[in-house]
Amino acid sequence: MISYKHQLSRFFVRMGLAIFTCVALGPVIWAVVTSLLPLTALTSRPPDLNPLNMTLENYGLVLDSSRGLFSGLINSFIIATFTSAVGLVIGSMAAYALARLNMPGSSLILMMILATQMFPGIVIAIPLFLVMSRMGIVDTHFALILVYLSFTLPIVIWILKAFFESVPMELERAAAVDGAQPLQTFQHIVLPISLPPLFATGVFVFIEAWNEFFFAIILTRINVKTAPIAIAEFSGQYQTLYGQMLASAVLASIPVVFLAIIFRRFILEGFVEGAIKA
Amino acid sequence: MQQISEYNRRRIRMGIWFSAPAVIVLLTVLAYPILASWVLSFLRVYFAGQGLSFRFYGLTNYTELLTNQLFREALLRSIYFTLVEVIVVTFLALIVALLLNHPLGRHAFFRVVLLVPWALAPVANAVLWKWIYNANYGILNQALIGLGIIDRNIIWLGSPVLALNMILLADIWKAVPFIALLLLAGLQNIPSHLYKAARLDGANAWQQFQHVTLPGLKTTLIISIVLQSIWALKVFDLIYVLTKGSPADSTVLLNYLSWRVTFSNLDVGYGAAIANVLFVLMFILSLVYIRALRPRKTKEKVG
Amino acid sequence: MATLELIDITKKFGAVTAVDGFHLKVEDGEFVTLLGPSGCGKSTILNMIAGLEDVTAGAIQINGKTVNALGPFERDVAMVFQNYALYPHMTVEENIGFSLRLRKRPKSEVQEKVQRVAEMLELEKLMQRLPRELSGGQQQRVAIGRAVIREPSIFLFDEPFSNLDAALRIKTRGEIKELHQRLGVTSVFVTHDQEEALSLSDRIAVLQAGRLEQYGSPEEVYLRPATKYVARFIGTPQMDFFSGEFIDKEGLRYKVGEAEIPVPTLTRLPEAAFDAGVRAEFVSLGQKGFDATVRLVQPVGPFTYVTVDWQGGSVTARVNGVSHLKPKEHIKVDIDPQGLLFFDRATSMRIDIL
Repeated sequence: MISYKHQLSRFFVRMGLAIFTCVALGPVIWAVVTSLLPLTALTSRPPDLNPLNMTLENYGLVLDSSRGLFSGLINSFIIATFTSAVGLVIGSMAAYALARLNMPGSSLILMMILATQMFPGIVIAIPLFLVMSRMGIVDTHFALILVYLSFTLPIVIWILKAFFESVPMELERAAAVDGAQPLQTFQHIVLPISLPPLFATGVFVFIEAWNEFFFAIILTRINVKTAPIAIAEFSGQYQTLYGQMLASAVLASIPVVFLAIIFRRFILEGFVEGAIKA
Repeated sequence: MQQISEYNRRRIRMGIWFSAPAVIVLLTVLAYPILASWVLSFLRVYFAGQGLSFRFYGLTNYTELLTNQLFREALLRSIYFTLVEVIVVTFLALIVALLLNHPLGRHAFFRVVLLVPWALAPVANAVLWKWIYNANYGILNQALIGLGIIDRNIIWLGSPVLALNMILLADIWKAVPFIALLLLAGLQNIPSHLYKAARLDGANAWQQFQHVTLPGLKTTLIISIVLQSIWALKVFDLIYVLTKGSPADSTVLLNYLSWRVTFSNLDVGYGAAIANVLFVLMFILSLVYIRALRPRKTKEKVG
Repeated sequence: MATLELIDITKKFGAVTAVDGFHLKVEDGEFVTLLGPSGCGKSTILNMIAGLEDVTAGAIQINGKTVNALGPFERDVAMVFQNYALYPHMTVEENIGFSLRLRKRPKSEVQEKVQRVAEMLELEKLMQRLPRELSGGQQQRVAIGRAVIREPSIFLFDEPFSNLDAALRIKTRGEIKELHQRLGVTSVFVTHDQEEALSLSDRIAVLQAGRLEQYGSPEEVYLRPATKYVARFIGTPQMDFFSGEFIDKEGLRYKVGEAEIPVPTLTRLPEAAFDAGVRAEFVSLGQKGFDATVRLVQPVGPFTYVTVDWQGGSVTARVNGVSHLKPKEHIKVDIDPQGLLFFDRATSMRIDIL
């Protein structure tokens, strides 16, 4: 016997969920639909949404190498992968040191990490640009990876430190008694049981590095255009080619959305709880 | 006299080696530039031929800030932007979080829905809304005309106040999912026996919300608000793609201004000064963050 | 095989002194238990022996050599942890063989040794299982196996039974005792369970708040406890105490209220004030003795413990078989003078012979 009030509230909840889903996914779906329609369909009023007109021609045009999107995707992939990999390696090591290895000055380092989350990129962008142009490393993959590391490392360290602290001390003591040096304990015992948070953090860093735009436009010129830059150019240069503009945005977003969906459980648990604990 | 066993000595040594790479990266790419930024703001930077030359400028860059109308307007706009975004996002995100906490909303599908806007690159988001806002063919105009709400296409990004708010809308759309996730985690951390106790005491749904939900969410709400404010102050991609500051610099916010001054006008010292102002703003916000989290330990135990 | 000596060991955590001037000598092949309640410092001492915890002051010597600066592996000690600490991502086989693989021993040697240990501990059928697929008792045997395969000079056990249920505890206790009889390795065992200590050890070190109260064989700590604390801690049920005074009346007697108990074990009237203690097996109920009222009747199978109130307070008697006494009944309680132990009221130390 469901009361009337109860039924009413369930109705509102269902409505709310429906509205939420439409609002959240609507624009995205519309973007995808747009990217699949030829320009003529989009510029007719009202737009001609006939599914029979759908075509992949926008994608084909957009991936044409002269438009820069293809190389943009490759560059983004290289940079995001390296940032993620290097960030995980040195970040996990630092996180372990802070969690377990009685590092002198660890609270100072932690404060630093907290502080890095809270300032605008422009502050470091200007000096970095000056130094890097003098060193001649502007417009290189290396420059971007280095800069991306600077703001993803703190997150990696923060999340992994919390996790390493939850590994029972006894386990590491048993390893020491068995004859393991700290590095071996880290390698053979701690890391293998940390695979889920390692993965989650790696994916998170990948997504952040891939999506980054601000430092990308400051620190690159022609050689190392990333996907976001390519999209931005599209929206400037070819903005009347609506279908292609959206196609470029969709293409550049597919990898990260895909990753986010696959690893959603890790991301949701790890990162959100980390933010709470912070 | 304390003798440290080899076990612990090894661990300390290892700790230093382990954290060295990360510390080095952070020091060079973060600590040094932050210091340099402050130094730069006291200089006037010239691009002479191939290199740069610096001349000491004292506080001139900062006094320039105070008298410059564009800076003042950008500052006010940034504050407006941040305030409205934080209020609207927190409100909407709370509703979404409540919906997703309800038994009907527990399905994994909704969590996926949340993640999609979050995973999008801010640039992609900007492009998306650029298309939606398109005066001639964008869906917003088409829908509104179709519904009879307006009779002529509106140039959304064409008039000053409107453009700023459309940018605001786009940012809100992208921000709500993540904040909703945060709040959802906070909601799920509220022990259910508190609700049961309230129900037994005769509280209805609204009262339960007032006396159990809101207090339990206090910390999470504070975290969300501070994080959201910091992100709102950092807005850049949207401005770059949608308006580039126009019409008539009415969508220029602080972060964008600093970038433009430095890299378009090549007034590096002045740009650094603006950046530092932004830095101070965020620093104050983070202090609020840290302060708000400390007394938590004593208060949350009640109930 | 090794001797272990702790010389004046002190451990401070900041301002808190956990262990103060602790002395202990363990002979080659001995099984010694560190016994005490939670927080008395026994685990800290064990960790210092293992090399997992730094020593604030004092020396730890193994076979006469000071090992303070050495790590656990270099000291050639192996340890069985309270929560087993099995590597969760490794199989039983890998867990046991880990230390050998770390030393890069040839595969054939590792396999052979692991197999031998597995057989000794009846783990052959479980070799490919992961720790989470094992029961508590099985996990513990794997933990023991991991220690045994090291063939160490000293075994250390940190309350290894606390996570097992009662029946399993007693069974595993027997297995450990057999293992020690078989391997004869010097062992230091930490527990708060006095029964465990009594049944397993060659000698027991009873600790209180970081200090050694008594170090002796099970018989010694049971029959001749050095202090009131030891007397109270060892033995089930707890020793009963009562206050009285010595009088000289046709020989030495101990007077409690109106009751007088002859004391044949002492010859001279002591000067200080003393409390008396007696164990339940020296207390009997019947028609002879001092007036008492039954308070509690607790049958435990072969005996029944009957607690009565008398002039000295309350005392528990051990009655064979089943007792038909009921609370509030009147009975007479008789205390065997041979079972009386006397403790200096001021210092809590027991007097032996006067």
